[in-house]
Amino acid sequence: MAIGTAKIRVPRNIKKGKPFKLQFIIIHPMEPGTRKDKKTGKLIPAHHITKLDITFNGKKVTHMDVGGAVSANPYFAVMMRVNEPGTIEISYEDNKGGKWKKSVKVNVS
Amino acid sequence: MMNRRDMIKLMGAGMVMATASPIVTISHASKVEKKFKKYVGVPMSKVKDGSSMIKLKTPTIAETGANVPVAIDSKVPVEEVEWLMIFVDNNPVPRVIKVNLTPMNGKVYFATRIKMAKTSNVRAIIKKKDGTYLQAFKEVKVTIGGCG
Repeated sequence: MAIGTAKIRVPRNIKKGKPFKLQFIIIHPMEPGTRKDKKTGKLIPAHHITKLDITFNGKKVTHMDVGGAVSANPYFAVMMRVNEPGTIEISYEDNKGGKWKKSVKVNVS
Repeated sequence: MMNRRDMIKLMGAGMVMATASPIVTISHASKVEKKFKKYVGVPMSKVKDGSSMIKLKTPTIAETGANVPVAIDSKVPVEEVEWLMIFVDNNPVPRVIKVNLTPMNGKVYFATRIKMAKTSNVRAIIKKKDGTYLQAFKEVKVTIGGCG
């Protein structure tokens, strides 16, 4: 899979006002910039996600400042509480200028 | 009153002190404190112990430092929390991730997987909106480092 693709997982039954777990995985090498290439002895340049935002219907839910010490193909999980159906959008960028977005629709019962 | 169990704990602590030379432990601690101040912004003495409020879930021994699962679960109401941070003492960049939470999160919970260079304390630090800090930490033993 290409760098920057994300997979989001939300529970099937979301109850109004009750926190649920939002989980997602992003395909990314997350090179911290402190690792050395074993053959050439040179530092491998940093390439990792720096910022990540979660919004719900355009409202800010969570903001993350991500460092290089998060594992490759990072997994994140946070709780969320919603009162109406809508769209969860995750937007993220890396230090080489890559910007991506992924959204998922949720229904509330 | 000191019972037998407390006595054994004390003896264990004494043995750890005896094996590590005192000078080394002091210099190591101050190094961590310097890093802490640089990356968190406050001296470690200002951060209160929140081990009763913050549940930090990590493995005790990580086979590879490239992929250590960390989960933070806290009883602190989400309305009072400004941000949450994962801090690894012995990493080249100890500030792993900072998460700003809002009341829409409903609960203070965060989970991810992190890289660790070597055996180190993993700290979960919470900054509350009233300006106070809470932390909980746990030591994770790493057999193979994941940062270099």
